[in-house]
Amino acid sequence: MKKYLIIIKNGLMMRMARRVNFIFTFIGNLFYVVLVYFLWKAIYGNTTTTLNGMTFNQAFIYIGVASTIFILFQTYPDWYLSFKIRSGDIVMDLLKPLDVQIQVWAYSMGGSLSKLITTTLPCLIVIFGIFRASLSFGLNIPFFIISVVIAASLSYVFDFIIGITSFYTESIWGISVTKEALVLFLSGAIVPISFFPQNIQVVLRYLPFQAIYNIPLTILTSDTMGIVHYLSALLVQVGWLVVLVIISRLYYRKALGQLTINGG
Amino acid sequence: MKALAYYIKLYFLIVAQYIKIRMQYRADFIISTIGMVALNITGFLTIWVIFKSIPDLAGWSYEELLFMYGFSLLALTPMQIFFDNIWSLWIHVLDGTFIKYYFRPLNMLFYFVSEVFDIKGLNQLIIAITIIVFASIKLAIKWTFVKVALFIALFFSSSLIMISLMILAASSAFWTLNSFAVLNLVFKFKDFSRYPLTIFNSFFKFLFTFIIPIGFIAYYPLQLFLKPDQASILIFFSPIAGILLFVLAGFVWKIGVESYTGTGS
Repeated sequence: MKKYLIIIKNGLMMRMARRVNFIFTFIGNLFYVVLVYFLWKAIYGNTTTTLNGMTFNQAFIYIGVASTIFILFQTYPDWYLSFKIRSGDIVMDLLKPLDVQIQVWAYSMGGSLSKLITTTLPCLIVIFGIFRASLSFGLNIPFFIISVVIAASLSYVFDFIIGITSFYTESIWGISVTKEALVLFLSGAIVPISFFPQNIQVVLRYLPFQAIYNIPLTILTSDTMGIVHYLSALLVQVGWLVVLVIISRLYYRKALGQLTINGG
Repeated sequence: MKALAYYIKLYFLIVAQYIKIRMQYRADFIISTIGMVALNITGFLTIWVIFKSIPDLAGWSYEELLFMYGFSLLALTPMQIFFDNIWSLWIHVLDGTFIKYYFRPLNMLFYFVSEVFDIKGLNQLIIAITIIVFASIKLAIKWTFVKVALFIALFFSSSLIMISLMILAASSAFWTLNSFAVLNLVFKFKDFSRYPLTIFNSFFKFLFTFIIPIGFIAYYPLQLFLKPDQASILIFFSPIAGILLFVLAGFVWKIGVESYTGTGS
């Protein structure tokens, strides 16, 4: 009987541990939003002028929500895939009737949904409720939500490609960290793209990274976008999604070939 | 002094062995180094981009803020290189392997952290020094003997701040299951050390001065160094803040170590 009590106790402790993990993630994001608030307040210098076409309010929402979305997307499918490949578990997944990439996508979706409730929504409440950021509520909201869903899928596909790459390099931390640093910086999640020098801005707008963060965030904060703009922005995102999915499938097939040759 | 010499010699022996093993994972080392470089460079680029649009941040110029970024990066490097194993404390504590550190006639904290020497942290050292040199040239800092001595003393105590905070965070492994979450959170605070504390309101200024003293990693020491005429009393605590915090961390570590009874029971 005691054995079962121990198992129950362990299960309960693991549950509580996970819950506490969520709280820490939330607190971490909260501190980051605090930093964003005060840093950008100092950048704007306590005036209500616009910088690069954005008011302080818009910049704060842009970067603050960026950090929240980042956590939403941060489901580590690259690590997940990397471990599966390394441990050989991938063989079991290949035998299942469900496509591996869709499995990874579903795994990420599950992670994102739980983070939505535990971290994203509370942080949004903090940004708009406590920091009193003001936002015009109109068509930008539903389009923003759609855009975020597409952006999430983009992020997962990107991570999937990174995960496969780690199979070739036998290193996951380095690639994952490089990807994170580059994607966040080049997508406008750390500093809005409108703040970059013009010639660099042009380059950034042609990269897929800005489709993950800049597009949804601009939809949310911009007050000059009409339905046509929203739709064309979504189209750009979907376009990148199609391209990256194709690349990831080809890459995956190639890696699989190598895996079966080596693994047998 | 004999004990200190002994420990230094021992450290070199342990680390040399470790490096030999790590160098077998060439690809991993190179890629991890690239990862760290990417992180540090984007930190610098963030400041560069921001200052394209503004002349100064809370009274600090671009070069001064660069100096601050470089200095905070430098102050974080000892923790990165020498104390990297602190991240795995909770793993050893949970699976019982931590017990092995009790059986040698060595200081446990030293024994534990000496097992990992983060070679790739050296790139952070290079980047940090490069940024500092660049900024100090732009700021036309006159490096007198006094200034150099002050700089070294401030660097020493600043590096102790993050080391101590991480030891404190990792020691939570002795009492909770969520040590990794604590470590992660405390590690994030280093990002706050790159900016002048004046950007915050009084609540957070207090928090980052007296409760989680990351203000003493770069802001207060550099106020002493770059803007001595704006000195507030606090900056004179800069050299000792790190030492005090380290003593506290050592104390908490000791309590944790003594309360650890291994797994089970």
